[in-house]
Amino acid sequence: MTALLDKSPLGARVRIARIDWNTMSDDEGRRLREFGLMEGCEVTPLHRGSIFSRDPLALTVGRMKVIIRSRQAAAIEVEPAT
Amino acid sequence: MTGAIPSIALVGNPNAGKSSLFNALTGARQKIANYPGVTVERKAGHASFADGRPISLIDLPGTYSLTPASLDEAVTRDVVLGKQAGEARPDALIVVLDAANLDNHLCFALELLALNLPTVIALNMVDLATRDGLTLDAERLSKELGVPVIPTVAVRKRGLGDLLAAVDGAIRSHRPREAAAAPANDASLHQRARALARAAILTETPVRRWTQRVDNIVLHPVAGMIILLALMFVMFQAVYAAAEAPADLLEGGIGVLQQWVVATFPDNFLRGLIVEGLLAGVGAVVVFLPQILILFLFILLLEASGYMTRAAFLMDGLMGKVGLSGRGFIPLLSSFACAVPGIMATRAIPDEKDRLTTILIAPLMTCSARLPVYALIIAAFIPNRAVGGTPVGLQGLVLFGLYLAGIVGALVVAYVLRRTVAKGSAAGFMMEMPRYQMPRWRDIALGLWQRAWIFLRRAGTIIAMTTVVLWLLLTFPQAPEGESQVEYSVAGRIASGLEVVVKPIGFNHDITLALIPAMAAREVAVSAMATANAIDAGDDEDAMAQSLGERLQGKWSLATALAFLAWFVFAPQCISTIAITRRETNGWKWPMFMVGYLFLLAYAAAGITYWTAVAFGLG
Repeated sequence: MTALLDKSPLGARVRIARIDWNTMSDDEGRRLREFGLMEGCEVTPLHRGSIFSRDPLALTVGRMKVIIRSRQAAAIEVEPAT
Repeated sequence: MTGAIPSIALVGNPNAGKSSLFNALTGARQKIANYPGVTVERKAGHASFADGRPISLIDLPGTYSLTPASLDEAVTRDVVLGKQAGEARPDALIVVLDAANLDNHLCFALELLALNLPTVIALNMVDLATRDGLTLDAERLSKELGVPVIPTVAVRKRGLGDLLAAVDGAIRSHRPREAAAAPANDASLHQRARALARAAILTETPVRRWTQRVDNIVLHPVAGMIILLALMFVMFQAVYAAAEAPADLLEGGIGVLQQWVVATFPDNFLRGLIVEGLLAGVGAVVVFLPQILILFLFILLLEASGYMTRAAFLMDGLMGKVGLSGRGFIPLLSSFACAVPGIMATRAIPDEKDRLTTILIAPLMTCSARLPVYALIIAAFIPNRAVGGTPVGLQGLVLFGLYLAGIVGALVVAYVLRRTVAKGSAAGFMMEMPRYQMPRWRDIALGLWQRAWIFLRRAGTIIAMTTVVLWLLLTFPQAPEGESQVEYSVAGRIASGLEVVVKPIGFNHDITLALIPAMAAREVAVSAMATANAIDAGDDEDAMAQSLGERLQGKWSLATALAFLAWFVFAPQCISTIAITRRETNGWKWPMFMVGYLFLLAYAAAGITYWTAVAFGLG
């Protein structure tokens, strides 16, 4: 059972099942991988947006906390972490 | 090394504590310049090995890999590859890693190790890693990587001696290794980095960081926004309240200096040039130094503590709606002090169109140079009373309205630009959130000193030159007896020509005359009006006794005053901003565009204000 990262609930650890690299530019894709966001890694979405909008999304990857836009999060399929 | 001073580059990921390490190694012995041809700051400094041999250090912009995403990052790649024009390839690298974030930072380290330069790894911020429950085995890591790994705590100067000794050793013993090829793709690079990190981590307690607890409040959709607004409020209060005394002191000092020159030297051309041109012009700008320093103090503190990225996170939603990104928040915030450092700070924005738009709207943030103009006009024309029984003062409200007009204007302009001339894919916003840290006063003091120096150098060169030119235009040709010097001068004649254009929006001769020298810097408008009015007053003692504000009150209508305020919300009257825009966009196209659209907006805003006010009977 997979869901998209931009919709997944805050605070719940998930595993990245698949990333649709075609929806983003090469630079964006590379930066995601440089952050360690790739298939198989586990992330926890933590904060989403402000009163203005639901963008952006802050999540932890390993011991790092990163910010991405929900457009990119929408390209990331996740499944519950085991 | 054959006599030449070895040059050593510090490289690493953003947030690895690289700059703190650089500051700790070099102290205040730093030099900031630009790389030739590009506008990226080059930070260099000196240090020495234990036996006293000097070395030179450069601090390269932080990046995640050798494939750059922004201008800064391209410089890092070019320098370590020896491709940067005017910069020799470094003799050795110090790769700075955040000890608490090994699996990520080791990726870049592996890429750098494959370059086969003498390399030492600084395992930085080991104290914070310990705080987070990590124990690391530096020796094991060193064995795996084949280079020395030195644990350091830059802010406490721990491990620095060992680090430099290791660099010395690495340079001496270096022989071209069999190039250990970096893993071919991102996935295998990460796998290798993770394996290395796992091997180096002795114990790891589950992450329980107080950073997370703070973030739950600071990044809360509502509470976080309130905290951000409160911080901004305190900041602007401090800028205006705390800067007053030192600014008055500076102003007094310049006055004393002018009087001394007048008293000491005979009345001739040179004395006039120094007193009325150089001292008056440069002095009018230097008076803003306290405000700029206070604003930068706040910005540096917010940045060093790690809060600035949170502010960018909170603002991204709003800025995303007009096609910008949260990255633009920091440059725009700096622009409230001065657009010049603000525009320079846009270099960190990776998306080109996003960056261009941020540069183009930066002059709409109400910089400190507009304050003298606003202060003069508001004090003279807006009654000092409370608004309808509330403790809110009308004067303050008008000032706030002028700030707000600039911000709203900027958002609208950004929205339009992103759909027309700066069209592009939606700006991305990908950023690492650093942990919270206690700012180190040494780093802050050093940063403030560097900002002050850049500002003063600018005042001493560009601004000094333009004010001298303007003084010449106001002084020649010499008016015959009985005619006003200001009117008779070249500047006065230009003003008469210009008056035709600005008369419809309610501008009188006073204003037109002030607008020309104010091209150099907005605040010059005030001193220009003061000069013109002083000459106007002639020997009339009653007129001389009046303050500038009182004199304007007698001559201007309220509609004209309001139009003048509206004009300055938009008008691009600042040579330095135009010059920095030319440098940052590599050509005249965008600065010309910026000047054009801002003058149009200024004209329209002043016109609408004037006509509306006249319609309400305020003309």
